[in-house]
Amino acid sequence: MSAARRPTAVLLAALAFVLLGAGLAAGLRDESAESSEPGPATVTLDRPAPDLVGSALDGSRFDLTDYRGSIVVINVWASWCAPCRTELPLLAEAARTWSADGVVVVGLNVRDSAEAAQVLLDEAEATNLITVADPTGALAVSWGVRGVPETFVVDRAGRLRLWAQGVVDAAWLRERLGPMVQP
Amino acid sequence: MMRPMVRRLLLVGVTAAALTVAGLAIWRTAAPRPETADTIAAQLRCPACQGESVARSSSPVAAAMREVIATQLAEGRSPEQVRQWLIDRYGAELLSDPPTAGWGLLLWLFPVVATAIGAAVLVGRLRRGQARPRRAPGRLALGRPARAGLTWDLLAISIVALAGVVALASPGRDPEPASDPLADALSLASSLERQERFAEAAAIYREVAESQPISAIRLRLAYCLLRSGQPAEAAETAAGVIDDEPTNPQAVLLLGLAQRAQGLAEASTTLQRFLELDPGHEAAPQVRRLLEQAPS
Repeated sequence: MSAARRPTAVLLAALAFVLLGAGLAAGLRDESAESSEPGPATVTLDRPAPDLVGSALDGSRFDLTDYRGSIVVINVWASWCAPCRTELPLLAEAARTWSADGVVVVGLNVRDSAEAAQVLLDEAEATNLITVADPTGALAVSWGVRGVPETFVVDRAGRLRLWAQGVVDAAWLRERLGPMVQP
Repeated sequence: MMRPMVRRLLLVGVTAAALTVAGLAIWRTAAPRPETADTIAAQLRCPACQGESVARSSSPVAAAMREVIATQLAEGRSPEQVRQWLIDRYGAELLSDPPTAGWGLLLWLFPVVATAIGAAVLVGRLRRGQARPRRAPGRLALGRPARAGLTWDLLAISIVALAGVVALASPGRDPEPASDPLADALSLASSLERQERFAEAAAIYREVAESQPISAIRLRLAYCLLRSGQPAEAAETAAGVIDDEPTNPQAVLLLGLAQRAQGLAEASTTLQRFLELDPGHEAAPQVRRLLEQAPS
């Protein structure tokens, strides 16, 4: 190869690498997280909700399929998670406000002790929430939970519609849940 | 200065060495080895953290995933089924190795394609070199180019030698901690205990205690046996610990409770002994109440 042609070849090779890298980065990127918006990273979904069957903290049995016809907000939390402490009172308030519209708020208490969970529910005045105990975290894993807090919304037909990673606030509930309650 | 024949032999030698090293590396990375909960977890990226595997991460989600893997394996699912179950929930990006389809396939194919292109260029250059009329040996022909060729050959040999040394000296493909079936089993048993599945937990503790007769494990076994309605075996297990450690209050407590569950008269004496050994134990008030209820 002549000296004159060598820089061109090097440039072409570099360009090929850059294009390959850019292509891979684009292909491996997360598909639909709308991270530019304020509030928790929210993914819009439309697929059947996974099973959620377990024991509630009050000893009763919980089965998500019993709530077909309601909009179910599932909040994944733990007493050792500081942001969850700010979120729980808001969710308890939302449960009271929206219950007439068929909204049910369910807490999924992961890798926590029942006592610690109950203390936090009392403190947050969130005892009105149905709280499903998940001491091993197996239920959370079956929902693909990455961390706490996370919130899922299941529509009246039992389809998983929203998945939020991070703390949800009043604006998020109003903007995301509002259209589902009154379509 | 290097003769063409020597250079050709050198090229063949270098190629053979490179192929040997490549084969060795593939063998070391792809050799089948039994899969355990820990090796499966080591192949998965922790979805809650950056750059850590599920096996290594201390995040609660990774801990939950480890328990899920151990539970599913214990229930008889194959490693492939367990992996697929997790990928269905967390996506293919959970795998440390890229998938062998779609964009992931490109990552696997890239080295092969790059090698093929490199080989094609090399062959092309060699052919051009052979087709070119040979210059008469003399001062003009054998100067700098031949010396430059020798430098490149030496550089190539050094790289291959370095790769060989790395491949041979590296401790194989075990960047993650070596699989520890004992830890897997104990983690699963403790998870079962939390779910109040005492009979299943006892079965695992029994198996572990056979190979690792540590008091702590034998006492967990005794406790689970007691809670799952097997007081005779619980008593026998606790008595075994007492043989080794006569003043272990936990062992004496479990023996007393197991004797009491069997309706044996010596239960009261054993529980009294427990209170003498550790009057401040968290179970002491309850034991006192039991003794008051049924004085011997």
